[in-house]
Amino acid sequence: MRNQRNAWTMIVVAALLLEGWALYVVSLSPRRWRPALIVQDEPAAHALYDGMMAAIQQAERLSYDGFCPGPDARVSFYTVHQAKPDRFRIDVVNGMSSKSATVVGDGNDVWTFWSGERPYLTIDDDQSAAEARSDAYVRRAMSAGPPGIARDITLFGRPYYKLILDPDIFHDHTDPLEPYIDGVRSRGRNDVDDVVCDVIEVSYMQAQRTRFFWIAREDHLPRRIKEVVRRAEISVAIEQWQKPVVDEDIPAKTFVWSPPEGWQRWVPPSPERFLLATGSEAPDFTLPAVRKGAISLSDYRGQVVWLYLWQVGSPQCYEQMRFLQTLHEQYGDKGLAILGLNFTDDRRIVRAFLKTNGLTFPTMLDTSHIAKRVVWGDYGNKPLDVPLSYVIGRDGKVVDAWFGYEEDSQRGRDALAKAGRPVEDRPGP
Amino acid sequence: MRAYELMKETFYRRSYIWIVHVSWFALYGLYWWLFLPEGPDFGKFVFVWGGFLLPLALSAGIFGDDIGSGRICVLVTKPFWSGELYLFRLLGLSFQAVVHLLLAGALVLGLHAVMDKGNTTDLGLWLLASWLLFNTCAALSTTLSVFVGRAFNSLLLLVLVAAGYFVMGMLMRMLGDNAMTGAFMSFVRYGWPPFTLLHKFAAGEYGPFALTVGKFSIAKDIACVVHSLMLAAAYSVLGIVILSRREFSRVRD
Repeated sequence: MRNQRNAWTMIVVAALLLEGWALYVVSLSPRRWRPALIVQDEPAAHALYDGMMAAIQQAERLSYDGFCPGPDARVSFYTVHQAKPDRFRIDVVNGMSSKSATVVGDGNDVWTFWSGERPYLTIDDDQSAAEARSDAYVRRAMSAGPPGIARDITLFGRPYYKLILDPDIFHDHTDPLEPYIDGVRSRGRNDVDDVVCDVIEVSYMQAQRTRFFWIAREDHLPRRIKEVVRRAEISVAIEQWQKPVVDEDIPAKTFVWSPPEGWQRWVPPSPERFLLATGSEAPDFTLPAVRKGAISLSDYRGQVVWLYLWQVGSPQCYEQMRFLQTLHEQYGDKGLAILGLNFTDDRRIVRAFLKTNGLTFPTMLDTSHIAKRVVWGDYGNKPLDVPLSYVIGRDGKVVDAWFGYEEDSQRGRDALAKAGRPVEDRPGP
Repeated sequence: MRAYELMKETFYRRSYIWIVHVSWFALYGLYWWLFLPEGPDFGKFVFVWGGFLLPLALSAGIFGDDIGSGRICVLVTKPFWSGELYLFRLLGLSFQAVVHLLLAGALVLGLHAVMDKGNTTDLGLWLLASWLLFNTCAALSTTLSVFVGRAFNSLLLLVLVAAGYFVMGMLMRMLGDNAMTGAFMSFVRYGWPPFTLLHKFAAGEYGPFALTVGKFSIAKDIACVVHSLMLAAAYSVLGIVILSRREFSRVRD
């Protein structure tokens, strides 16, 4: 009896230890998974990455079919044709509905158009949504520098999954995330559609996102790209290349398009039109702070406030926040309050990001519908885009509001000066 | 002999059990024929139907019937440990699942050979994940059957799972990422049938190109298997304890 009891005790203890080990391995402890995900650079693997980028950029002409499957069984099928210096055509078809969208760059203009009805975009309101819903096109003049194809692809709308790799790379534009690479490491060999590929893993921004590239040995072009983005929820995107062709002739008419008879030109409205107007009252809100407690806008009445909406995965936000930190250090006790608001990212990632970059200004973090109502409803961020800046005066009224980032932050300095809290041109450390 | 009899009982205790198996096979075949390759992976379909819905169908009233008819009073007075009743019935269910899933795999391979449709690459992993999920859900359903009358144990488990995920979704949506939702998520992730863990396991997401932890891929696969078996054991222990301590009325329903 006693032996039996001892045996059962040992079995239970062993089972508990085994289960404890299993839970330890499967649990998402940030102290463990973050170091594992931040890739240490391997020169050979980094050379593969550089070789892939060089293969794309050195081509004079590039064509491939791509498809991007999603978790809900939707697939977007792309056909991409690009020619130096600035011609391109990208067609996309939604696998389930057979609707399509196209963007054509002919060297002078960029044309974007849809088959059938234009989808409802995040920048639409009731009025713009009613305008030019069918047989519509967008035309913009090409400016000097990279064509900005990724921006045009956003006009395709939500029915289509976006390409992961920026098509502008072909036109000698650096991938915007490249300066934020943690490292590149090899993941061995894995064939795609009978094409022998070397797989590399690239992590960015302290593993806020990771990309896997399957690089074909025969031409150094990717055959598959998988991107994992770690916000409050993890999202995975896949882009698969098929039949890439380099430097083969592409008929000139591929890059030519003009609107058929009866089509209407549609000018996409600016997302800034939804923002609070200058002089309007900035709505009060209370949101949880990233560290402890809560932050209310009304706590800063009497100070000039720069409210900054940001997310970890936006390189533009990185740059601006360094400037904001300097302002916080120099003017934080002189009537200027810098408030950060993040409404998309995982708490652990945000805390690590703030700590790594030495950012100490008050920051709110809330991914619930309450924060989204403040951001989308009260503060007019309809496309939920970042970075978004609001400068609010001592009287609680909006002085200025804008999307995006300027390298010299001139607009921000002008707004602060207008609010009565001027700052130096280049605040020192 | 006793074990064999108890396990065999699970195969024919209700007349519809064979109908369930045959219907499931027909569904697998129909799904393969109609929706592949356009539809989501076949493995996910088997995972839900074979891993979750099948144990609900097979374990409905597994103890509730005996309790309702009064037969349980005879069974628990037999000269053997009442926990054996639970254990061998659960093993019977698990064995049924093994046979069922192996036949399902054979059916799928046969359809693939004949119709040249679909992809069977990860089928083995999905069948294994389905069996692991089956064990966990069957154990939980059998435990519920010890104190829920008739065949309501399956319905109750179905409602609990649906409600749990609904509440989880609402909490995440309304409250976002905070301590309370984190605690609830941890409970669902580790204390509840491991739908997400096994889904990722079968989808190869703990493999070389993992979503979360890039290292320890084999260890993570093993940990998933261990954890799901331990969960099934924990639910079983709970069911055995309740069965052992409960006093049953001779009054029939």
